[in-house]
Amino acid sequence: MSHTQTIERDSPQFIKRIQYTYNKMHHRPMYLYALFILGLPVYIFTFIFYLFRKKDDTYAKLKKELEDELHGSEYSRQMLEEFKKQIRDKKAFFNETIDEQEINTLARSWTDEQINQEIAQRVDEQLKILGKEKQTYFRFMYHLLGKPLFVYLTLIPGFLMYGLIYIYSNPFVKYIFDRLLMTVFVIMGVIIFVFTVLYISPFDPAANILGETATKEQIAKFNTIHGLDKSYIFQLFDSIKGIFTFNLGLSFEGNEDVAESIMNRFPITMKLAVISLVMAMIIAIPIGIISATMPNSFLDYSFMFIALIGLSIPNFWQGLIFILMFAIKLQWLPATFNPANALSMIMPIIVLGTALTASVARMTRSSMLEIIHEDYMMTAKSKGLSNRQVLWKHAIRNAMIPIITVIGLLFAGMLGGAAVTEKVFNISGIGSYIVDKQFIPDIPSIMAGVVYVAITISLVNVIIDIMYAFFDPRIRSKMKEY
Amino acid sequence: MDKGKKERINNHSIVLKGTPIFTQANFAFVLSLVLFIILLLSSINYTTGTIKPVMFGLALTNGVFTLFQWFITRKIKKDILADGFVKKSTRRFGYIQIIGLLAGNLFVVVFSFQLVKKEPTAEYIFACYMILTQLVMIALSALNVFKPYVTDLFPISMLAMFVLTGIQIAVLIIIARYVDQDRLSRKMLFLLIPLILITLTGNIFAVLIALGLLVKVNKHYNPKTGKWDEIWGIITRNSTAMLGMFFIVLMFSISVVSLFTFDYAMAIENNYSAILQQPTLEYPLGTDNFGRDVYSRMIFGARISLVVGIASTLVPAIIGGILGALAGYYSEKADNIIMRLLDVLYAVPGLLLAIAIIAAFGANTVNLIIALSVGSIPTYARTMRANVLMVSNYEFVDAARALGTGDREIIFRYIVPNSLSPMIVKATLTIGTAVIATSSLSYLGLGVEPHIPEWGNILKVGSTFLETHSYVAIFPGFAIIALVLSFNFLGDALRDALDPKVD
Repeated sequence: MSHTQTIERDSPQFIKRIQYTYNKMHHRPMYLYALFILGLPVYIFTFIFYLFRKKDDTYAKLKKELEDELHGSEYSRQMLEEFKKQIRDKKAFFNETIDEQEINTLARSWTDEQINQEIAQRVDEQLKILGKEKQTYFRFMYHLLGKPLFVYLTLIPGFLMYGLIYIYSNPFVKYIFDRLLMTVFVIMGVIIFVFTVLYISPFDPAANILGETATKEQIAKFNTIHGLDKSYIFQLFDSIKGIFTFNLGLSFEGNEDVAESIMNRFPITMKLAVISLVMAMIIAIPIGIISATMPNSFLDYSFMFIALIGLSIPNFWQGLIFILMFAIKLQWLPATFNPANALSMIMPIIVLGTALTASVARMTRSSMLEIIHEDYMMTAKSKGLSNRQVLWKHAIRNAMIPIITVIGLLFAGMLGGAAVTEKVFNISGIGSYIVDKQFIPDIPSIMAGVVYVAITISLVNVIIDIMYAFFDPRIRSKMKEY
Repeated sequence: MDKGKKERINNHSIVLKGTPIFTQANFAFVLSLVLFIILLLSSINYTTGTIKPVMFGLALTNGVFTLFQWFITRKIKKDILADGFVKKSTRRFGYIQIIGLLAGNLFVVVFSFQLVKKEPTAEYIFACYMILTQLVMIALSALNVFKPYVTDLFPISMLAMFVLTGIQIAVLIIIARYVDQDRLSRKMLFLLIPLILITLTGNIFAVLIALGLLVKVNKHYNPKTGKWDEIWGIITRNSTAMLGMFFIVLMFSISVVSLFTFDYAMAIENNYSAILQQPTLEYPLGTDNFGRDVYSRMIFGARISLVVGIASTLVPAIIGGILGALAGYYSEKADNIIMRLLDVLYAVPGLLLAIAIIAAFGANTVNLIIALSVGSIPTYARTMRANVLMVSNYEFVDAARALGTGDREIIFRYIVPNSLSPMIVKATLTIGTAVIATSSLSYLGLGVEPHIPEWGNILKVGSTFLETHSYVAIFPGFAIIALVLSFNFLGDALRDALDPKVD
């Protein structure tokens, strides 16, 4: 249907834009529901208005006429016979039993379908000749949105709806908004999942902390203080609220403020992780590129073998061997982490970054090798570019896209793996915090730790996706397709 | 260097790289050299500055084999560049290298098995590795002779293993003489009887030989199995993959055989008269702070690492595979619901999720498998979904639908079998990760119960005596690395052989 062409010509630019976007959004049920909920007052008002205006409707009249004409006519009877014959032939061909009843109903439903299609088509044709169009609520609303007066009048009650339409009128903003909304849902899901797992735990934190000698009153009091006596829904709601307002109450053990202890530990883990990530990229990407430019050479084999070993070494073992070598035997570096001493960061950073370096190097190599065989590489060479130009301008730039995705995913693994490295080097980061708290189990602490790490990872991935949208023309053009 | 010469050398290297026997010879030489250097370095006693005579002798013997390997490699290169094939006289040198077995140089032995046979079939190579696995297993079990006591079953099991070795050598000779690339006569199926017997010891190479023979016997009637030869052909020509497979099968069969030849009490019962002993013949890897034999603990630990590693890969692969297949095959709505729900799991790092689940339900082996499985469901689902999306557009699916096949049959008979190869590759590569995760969690005290011999647990104990008794922590680490590396090697080779189109 060609709705889009009928935008009113004399309205201001932004009104046209609202009308145009509204039409586009109308094709996705999800957006339609969102519009309906956000613009409920406007919808109610226009619906009443629509019922008044509906009386004059050529569409319904035309349709009725055609229905009377076609149903039960000679034409439809012929069609029915034709369908029956087709079904019988098919059954005979496959040697299936012929059941008249079944054939009748099937042929009838096919005929009805066909006739209805034809009616719809003919009505459309005739309406076009008359210069009118099918009157539906959506068309009515669409026309109203094109009228400046209506928009100005409903601006205040329909503020949220217009805001949404405006956001969706720009593909970039829409993409970012969609992505953020998705992240919020994922985070909510994470909170619900982790909380539920900890809630159905068979352990009793109160008994674990107060000891076996605790009286019933003491346990009841403990449960009241920490809200453990409330219902599941209530506790879940408290947790969600707590996560978003950074107010998670006190930990079960030691009565410390959970949000505060996490805020103290988070920067340490992040600092280590980010430095490891940078180190990994600086080492791994050149190695991957070198390996890919001379595939199957001795250098390539050696690099990839070392990378595979790096991928196979358990973090904690590597940490222990490092401590044994550099701290105990050679005494070059301190064995445990101390925020004031930069030297003590070297070993944890290397240990944390090893697996990542290895994966990125392997990924860079395979991604580069894949791209070297693309058609556009051949084109670049055949137009006379030197090897170096081809490599830098075409190969590396295109190879970076999957590599950056992988780095985003591996960053998640690194934050998870940090728990082990932190325990080895005695670092008071978020990972070792979660591990320390799990024996009770200290529900708010564990949940906050896991959820905040998940939030960080989700945000990093959102940022990477948004960066793509700006840098990769292929994604950009896909975005505009809706 | 002038251009013609450079080009000639370039051509030579291309010719040589296309010849598997040369790359294998080179590979065996490099590894043998590394082994020689390691043995040489460990034969020196650094504190006193003296040389350990036994070690030094072993190192020198290996040096001789390494030198000979270098000579063979040169000879092969000359043969190929001159005639395009390896001469019979050069192949004969392989029989000398087989003696390298006595010096423990497995790399040259493996190579020489491939050198002496002109066109080695996959079954022949499997048979060689089968015997090698058996011999190493006997050697590992035989170390128990130095213990103060052995299990009641030890003598008879050792005898049985020697008899089995004899049977295996007979199987190898029959396969070398009568099995080639072509179709096989049905009479050869009598080999299945000894092969099934060997399989009972956990030697999976026997299973592969048996399957290979069955495929060869039925070759003309079944087009489905045509790829079997091709895939294993590629893998058996890949030295690193075979080395990885060898180690995995060795760990698997030692977990079976150790039931009879090793004493579990040595691994779990405290013996306060032998606390923290240095490695000796009685305790090949020393003892820990409870006087438990670290060697026995490591042998028994292989079982748990393998079971947890494989189970926590299979469970999510099956669940994720089914979810992914449904998401990929059915409407956009089902797809959206399944994938968005899995996004939630995907947002939490696997290890943290595992820690949270174990925190809630306690640390034991079953919970460990569940905890590790939950986190990796989404990745498998994504892989499967991408494949199913691709495969459902193929013509044979349309044809099946046109013939009136039901949805369930289309998914499980047509789509799933055709989208399995990326899943197999992914699963093989992630078993290694699961093994690392298992030992990491055990190290944190969140995995297997501490008294049970598991590599992470041994390492955890060892980490407290790092300064004085570092070997308790070092050896299990090597075992973990070797197992993970083996799975990675095998996974890489499977990826090359199966060549899945989707990433």
